[in-house]
Amino acid sequence: MEDTFGEEDFLNEDEPVAAHEVLQTLEDAWLNEKFCPDLLPSQDMYVEAMMEQIQQMEDNLTKLKKTDFRVEVHHMELARIRYIITSYLRTRLEKIEQNTAFILEQESTRGPENAYMSEGELNFAREFLALQENHHKQLVLKHVPPPFQDFMSTQQSLVPNLRSHVFLRAKKDVNGVVIEGDRDTRDEEVDLEENSQHIMQYKPIANLVQDGSVQLI
Amino acid sequence: MDPSEVEFIAEKELVSIVPNFTNNEVHLISGDVGPFRAGLPVNVPIWMALNLRQRQKCRIIAPDWLDVEKLEALIEGEKSNRFFTKMPSEHYMVVAQLLLSAVDDDIPRVEEIRMAVKDLWDVRISKLRSSVDTFIKTGGPHARLDYLTTMEINSVRPLLPQALDFIDRLNKVLKKLTTFVFSLY
Repeated sequence: MEDTFGEEDFLNEDEPVAAHEVLQTLEDAWLNEKFCPDLLPSQDMYVEAMMEQIQQMEDNLTKLKKTDFRVEVHHMELARIRYIITSYLRTRLEKIEQNTAFILEQESTRGPENAYMSEGELNFAREFLALQENHHKQLVLKHVPPPFQDFMSTQQSLVPNLRSHVFLRAKKDVNGVVIEGDRDTRDEEVDLEENSQHIMQYKPIANLVQDGSVQLI
Repeated sequence: MDPSEVEFIAEKELVSIVPNFTNNEVHLISGDVGPFRAGLPVNVPIWMALNLRQRQKCRIIAPDWLDVEKLEALIEGEKSNRFFTKMPSEHYMVVAQLLLSAVDDDIPRVEEIRMAVKDLWDVRISKLRSSVDTFIKTGGPHARLDYLTTMEINSVRPLLPQALDFIDRLNKVLKKLTTFVFSLY
């Protein structure tokens, strides 16, 4: 039988990206999201493209004979990719559950073009917040005297600690990253050479994670 | 991160196998693998090698660093150097573990290799512990960790960043407190 699994270019017409590059992007995004204290911009375009690719591969697989050695190999790979995607999405939902009000507030300051959350995540966050507020109301707030009923959920929300420390690897040379000093230490400047690894606070390198100059590890 | 996830990432590394079947290239989403010619070595990801080996479709060729003499040279190099030395594989520990446990009859002197890998790991981890100790005591905001492998980083993961976060918090409080005390005068 002719091999039907060409590696097709996909993900919008004007900029075709090969499947393995999409996968690499998703893997990087997965690890970044895992180690980043803050919510990063959603890669849902890549997730959708990859889901399509998986579907396509599954359709192709049904055409192969069960005894073909490739079937099992392809199934294994699909399972691995699914794991990356689900783990990625779950990590994001966990962050959204933890910092709901804060994340929603941040999101409202961004336009729809550079939103960090996908549509589904946004709905989830809103519903989650509503449920939480309702729960507080039912359980406690309606039983306390009126002056105390005014309960700002944004004030209660957990805020991610951007000063927390992360491990990172530089994907290219970045010079002069400034780490704010405290107390009696002065600001420190660090040069990140390509492929060097570091531990430092997330805040000074936050924008470098987003533009892909560094990878969290 | 769970160690099994580090293993998951390490399984992407390539390893050489000798298949006992012939087949065209396999077009995986992560890239093409093959073509397979019976008796001729070919590079495949570890997860695939282990699967084929389980089905007795191939023999796995150990990477050349997975060898008692080479590992001992690495241990010596590690001991004589103040900094971490470059490992032949970004996931030497996991790769060794996976391959050795799966293919003990393909590789000679498995027990000795296993011990050597463990020794290498021990030397590096004790070096890592003492560097972490010095790092925390000097209290710098930044450290370079070249050539540390993912599993080694993961072994200090919950503790080191959290300790640094905590020190950071204490410093912040101290700073507030000092400004407050000074404002009293």
